[in-house]
Amino acid sequence: MLLECRRLSFGYAKPLAKPLDFAVDGGQVVALLGENGSGKSTLLKTFAGMLLPLEGSLELDGQPVAAYGLRELARKVALVRMGLSLPDQMTVEEFVSLGRSPYAGVLDGRSAEDNRIVEESLKEMDLESFKGRAVAELSDGERSRVYLARALAQRVKLLLLDEPDAFMDIPRRKNLFVTLQRLSREKGMAVVLSTHWVGYAEKYADKILCFGKGSVVEAPAAEARKLGLLDWAEV
Amino acid sequence: MKRIVLCFVLLSLLAVLLSFVTLVSGPVDVPWDALLSSQIFWELRLPRVVAALLSGVALSVAGLSLQTVFRNPLAGPFVLGISSGASFAVALSMLAGFSFGHFGTLGAAAAGSLAVTSLVLGISCRFRNNTVLLVAGLLIGYFIDACISLLISWSDAESLRVYVSWGMGSFGRLTCNGIGIFAVAVFVGLVLIGVSVRYLNGARLGDEFARGLGIRVPLYKKLVLLGASVLAASVTAFCGPVAFIGIAVPHLAYLMFRTSNHRVLLPASALCGAVIALLAGLFPTYPLNAVLSLVGVPVILWVLVRHSAKEEL
Repeated sequence: MLLECRRLSFGYAKPLAKPLDFAVDGGQVVALLGENGSGKSTLLKTFAGMLLPLEGSLELDGQPVAAYGLRELARKVALVRMGLSLPDQMTVEEFVSLGRSPYAGVLDGRSAEDNRIVEESLKEMDLESFKGRAVAELSDGERSRVYLARALAQRVKLLLLDEPDAFMDIPRRKNLFVTLQRLSREKGMAVVLSTHWVGYAEKYADKILCFGKGSVVEAPAAEARKLGLLDWAEV
Repeated sequence: MKRIVLCFVLLSLLAVLLSFVTLVSGPVDVPWDALLSSQIFWELRLPRVVAALLSGVALSVAGLSLQTVFRNPLAGPFVLGISSGASFAVALSMLAGFSFGHFGTLGAAAAGSLAVTSLVLGISCRFRNNTVLLVAGLLIGYFIDACISLLISWSDAESLRVYVSWGMGSFGRLTCNGIGIFAVAVFVGLVLIGVSVRYLNGARLGDEFARGLGIRVPLYKKLVLLGASVLAASVTAFCGPVAFIGIAVPHLAYLMFRTSNHRVLLPASALCGAVIALLAGLFPTYPLNAVLSLVGVPVILWVLVRHSAKEEL
């Protein structure tokens, strides 16, 4: 398993849910569903190594997440969060190129291979024609694709996304889920994302983690509704 | 890329030209054939060129790195009180009658700026709010100015005269003996900031983002603040409090080079700062800070207006 947690308690000072047992492998997409404030972002931060587990174990590629050096961890896991405050002058290409930072030397140079990966990531997210534009000037939906391209340039095994579809229209949202599923299969990458779009999660994710009432329940995406885990989301 | 190379070439040529003009001109006329053998050339004009170059480079790089670390376009050695800290320590040394040669003034300036940097860093960790930080920096500056006023009121006429003259800022104060120490201090500051370029590129999007790129944020933040303090302190020690360059020049560099990559922005700011300082140094008989603002403000306003006009089109 790529990421595996046993009896994991996560939160800032107090646990936000009962201890969680969960595992995800490369090539799988996992959707985190639940109300705002239920702990989805906190769990993503814990998976990313930005928050230490309160209790239990959390292993990435067979090694405790806390045992990784920062640079080594950044080569394995990327957390994409929306709503960054962007500098006016930063172009799409410069932003995506930051994804190569974990591989750069002390002077932050980029090799030909780095530039090739950046180009490929831009192409992957259909951003080639945008690369010279300032990220701050793009629409929210376009910017979400830029954020994702940066994470792709980081060439990680585990991609964590915190509501990446928050600012997207319906066609873009569908396209995002299709792309994430394709990328996870093609690159053997595990994708864990939080979303409020239950329908897309059911269709494109392999597993669903439902947050609510102080616990997190896991189910295969196709069975979550039958098991009553999505009753709270019924129209 | 073409634009970046062109800007670097133009600025370098301008810096060479201004250095040459500063070396061959001045209030006293020296014949061309006697220039290289004259004392005026070696003891006045050369140190003045070096002072302008080092100060311009140091303050603009310090300003750029502080604006990046605090993610605040108004941050700079002066606004955050770092230069005031250096001034206070130097004032304490001058007005209290202590003098230990160049190391003494530099040491005092470094200690003063480091003390204020630590305070500002503490405030930034506690509040994480740019406005609070800015207000805190200004308040620290006011508090320090008040302390300096008290020192002035207690000091004798001669100490006061020396301090007031120092406070106006001047590139003409550096002597041949001081060039080495000034250059080493600036070099140390530049190295501390230069090795943090990976952090600076990530920090523009926040410390959490930088950490996600595998950057040891606390370590590099300290290195950058230390570097900026050393740069600001060394200029304050050798040329007095020099305003304007630290806050304004990074914006000039952004506008000219149109990039957010610090691998380009750091040398770009350094060159822009050197050119502005050399330009201001062409008027050695006037107070430096007044000349810097009189020469620099129109230049930067012109670039800003021209840039905005292009954006509108």
